[in-house]
Amino acid sequence: MYLGIDIGSSSSKAVLLDVQGQIKGSAVVNVGTGSTGPKKVLDSVIQQAGIHIHDIRKTVVTGYGRMTYQDADKQITEISCHAKGVVYLVKNARTIIDVGGQDAKVIRLDQTGSVENFVMNDKCAAGTGRFLEVMARVLDCQVNELSHLAEKGHEGVSISSTCTVFAESEMISQLATGKPIEDIALGAHRSIAQRIVGLANRIGVSEEVVMTGGVALNESVVNAIEKEIGLPVVRVENPQVVGALGAALFARDLEK
Amino acid sequence: MDRVAELLEELKTIARNPKESVEIALRDTGKKGVGCFPIYAPEELIYAAGAIPFGMWGGPIKGNLSDRYLQTFCCSVMKANTEQALLKQYDILSAVLMTTFCDTLKCVMENWKVASPQLNIIPIVYPQNRKTPSGIQFFQEELTRVKKELEEKLNCRISESDIQRSIDFYDEYREKMNQYMEVVRGYPDTIDAVTRHLIIKASYFMDKKNYIQKMDELISELRKRQIETTGREKRIILSGLMAEPEELLRIFDENGFHVIGDDLAQESRQFREEGPSEGTWQSRMAKRIAQQDGCAFLYDAEKTRGHLLIQMKERYQADAIVLIQMKFCDPEEFDYPILKKELGEANTPLLYLEIEQQMDSPEQIRTRIQSFAEMLA
Repeated sequence: MYLGIDIGSSSSKAVLLDVQGQIKGSAVVNVGTGSTGPKKVLDSVIQQAGIHIHDIRKTVVTGYGRMTYQDADKQITEISCHAKGVVYLVKNARTIIDVGGQDAKVIRLDQTGSVENFVMNDKCAAGTGRFLEVMARVLDCQVNELSHLAEKGHEGVSISSTCTVFAESEMISQLATGKPIEDIALGAHRSIAQRIVGLANRIGVSEEVVMTGGVALNESVVNAIEKEIGLPVVRVENPQVVGALGAALFARDLEK
Repeated sequence: MDRVAELLEELKTIARNPKESVEIALRDTGKKGVGCFPIYAPEELIYAAGAIPFGMWGGPIKGNLSDRYLQTFCCSVMKANTEQALLKQYDILSAVLMTTFCDTLKCVMENWKVASPQLNIIPIVYPQNRKTPSGIQFFQEELTRVKKELEEKLNCRISESDIQRSIDFYDEYREKMNQYMEVVRGYPDTIDAVTRHLIIKASYFMDKKNYIQKMDELISELRKRQIETTGREKRIILSGLMAEPEELLRIFDENGFHVIGDDLAQESRQFREEGPSEGTWQSRMAKRIAQQDGCAFLYDAEKTRGHLLIQMKERYQADAIVLIQMKFCDPEEFDYPILKKELGEANTPLLYLEIEQQMDSPEQIRTRIQSFAEMLA
């Protein structure tokens, strides 16, 4: 078995692969680096696959918390791991939009599936999952209810895409003026999409475009991105574990 | 410890402790000190006045005193300099020569005069059209004015022959630095990215005469050694204002990069252009600035920086260019779209890093640099 573990800022993900490259376990725990997340997610995939920890032949760790994880054979960045994982799932992928809890990155791939260029967001949390969390708090709903709320919106209100803090203030102002929360949710989804697409345009977008990371679970954001870039966006199954899948594939390569 | 290691350690200590190093230089030489804002302060005039020019390139200091004078969109170098001025750390200097290469520098100068009048601010304005006869004439007159102000502030007389000798001396310094850049390429393990930078940086906090002696010895000792065949296979050229903090360069070292050359304002741009050896002192200094190309801070109608970087990449067989963008350094930011296009057309891998001099956590930068290493592998 080969383990890929992706320790992010707000969640930990793991994938177990067998020698043939079949996924035997995958899990997500919603706490990330510096927490019990890495241990919990490891326990979870081991249990799922019905194996013992000694059955793991190689481990590759990735993500923001990769430098502090001691039990891996190698650490590789999330840029390379996402590329590896996406190409395994979508052979003709050329652009990856990965939006996680606190960062967003866009990766351009060449025809062989190798990383050609990449761009990441700066320290600011605008255009990341954190923006959605702030939005859910203001609109008094759960993060996973946001997309459904936005779908009911008719006329999206304009919300700043520059800064999460500004956007929060604007949303509160819009609520105070009596704007329907569905329209505010729609506007906020467009805002995050504009921010992500702005990042993507810095290195150029070409088909096929694949979206990964936790924010890819939000259908309204994906739809808004499709509208902004004018191209279809492929959503893979379990978009949160693609980095861990790439890490597991790298772990398997270590024995080649 | 062998002589190379001793010299490296000595110069690194000087670079890492600017205030103490400046105090030692002033005490040991008995000279006066003049602070020089980045980038092309006419140090030759200060040296001709019998004083020592010291570089003012910010630092790791944080604080909120500078917020009284600077907006959030000012760069971290200016914030650090202003913070240090307000903490009176520059009071050991007899004057400060303030250049005007960006909007912040132009606007903050008057604030500095009010906030720290004891620093004896001397402004210097560089011509936009520095290559035209009228631009050269303007700059010659500006240099003459700066010389006069230096004489007043330092209470001395600077003769023409003093300045001519000082320019000759600075030509020698520039030649020595270019030799260092050439030699250092052969020893990437002894002189890694961090060391390479600190050795250059030490020059800003010493009497150049003392510095040149040490560099002369370092270069000759290095030349006695066998060229290092390094495991650092990824050869890069750094471009931008500066490559700090040290942690940034350490990440390049950790990821097996070899800094084969640079186009940094704090490093090679200071000495890569040697001026004419003949002419009046004003024309020698003005023409050197007129000749300098490929710098975001000097107006360049031909936009030669991208071409220069591509040439450097070919000359040194580099694998990639790393553009280090100091956050809010607007002259550099305006160059980026042009560079990106030109380097892209030349199929030159480019890593763009946005930095601040005071980075609490370099983890995002680490991911970018490591990803770039993985991309080039």
